[in-house]
Amino acid sequence: MTADRAPRPGRRIEVDEESVRKSLAGLVLTIVELLRQLMERQALRRVEQGGISDEQMEKLGLTLMALERNMAELREHFGLTEDDLNLDLGPLGPLLPRDRDP
Amino acid sequence: MTDTLATWLYAVTAAPEDGTPPQGLTGVADEPVRLVEGAGLAAVVGSVPLADFDEDALRGHLEDLEWLERTARAHHRVINGAARHGQVIPLRFATLYHDDDRVRAMLRERREDFTDTLRRVAGRTEWGVKAYVDPRSFLPDPDESEDEGSPGTAYLMRRRAQRQDQETAHLRATERAEEIHSSLAALAVATAAHPPQDSALAAYEGWMVLNNSYLVPDDLTEDFTALVRALGERYPAVTLEVSGPWPPYSFTAPPKPAGDAQPEEKPS
Repeated sequence: MTADRAPRPGRRIEVDEESVRKSLAGLVLTIVELLRQLMERQALRRVEQGGISDEQMEKLGLTLMALERNMAELREHFGLTEDDLNLDLGPLGPLLPRDRDP
Repeated sequence: MTDTLATWLYAVTAAPEDGTPPQGLTGVADEPVRLVEGAGLAAVVGSVPLADFDEDALRGHLEDLEWLERTARAHHRVINGAARHGQVIPLRFATLYHDDDRVRAMLRERREDFTDTLRRVAGRTEWGVKAYVDPRSFLPDPDESEDEGSPGTAYLMRRRAQRQDQETAHLRATERAEEIHSSLAALAVATAAHPPQDSALAAYEGWMVLNNSYLVPDDLTEDFTALVRALGERYPAVTLEVSGPWPPYSFTAPPKPAGDAQPEEKPS
């Protein structure tokens, strides 16, 4: 390995284009998923408070349903699982609640 | 020469009458383990090379899981070995002193604290109990009635029911854990609650609903382990795991600033 000691032009970072694409997609989808879950929670809260009409409720439900389906398609497209769409915030735990978490 | 070594502390015990260190024990740097005596106490220590254990080196090592595992096991092995000769106060991983004189000074300074702690844990042993549940076994029975109306509304209702079921399951599992804890605590003189372990590191499925330590009088050891077994049988939905005997790790920590979890001690 001593032959390798010749001065090199700076440090090279191996970039695998595919993995970069996937990580970026994962990050973006994580944020979208966070927003989707927040919207869903907000919608459920409004339903529970009873402040919306049946028509509005149906519309909300359809929208959220479509969003969930879109998310699933996008995940599949990028070969990501539900567990991939999360960020470990260290002591704060994961960004998105996982089903198995209390 | 003394500049290149530091003193790593494993445990504090009462000074042994014959003054011999635990035989055949080697520590985190494969160094022989010795005793530093002072104030009627003895510190179980080893001399470790500063090159590997000064602040910078340690900071680097602590990122290295393999090093950490090996060294933590060595640390624990010495504590366990020392515990065979009498009750010990295990010291936190990576407790380092500049030299033996400072260790002696520390023993003198904290003599009262150490002696009290040793008296408190004498004849008692720490046991750990963890409880896991599969959330599904705590879900309420499915409610078939709600499939009314149009798809959007039905979707919302379904999601709401799922959320509520999840909350109910968590509540039920937590209640069950509380029951188990109070049964076990009845046999212990002190208990300490730990946060649930990271499921990624501890490799378990489901929820960890209990991760507690119990300080149990030695003559109740059998009762305690039998009780854990009995509780496991009584609640098949809960997986109970008992570990021990441990040196009293959870019951010998120096007083911490308020706000940190403190073991609860029952007046005996």
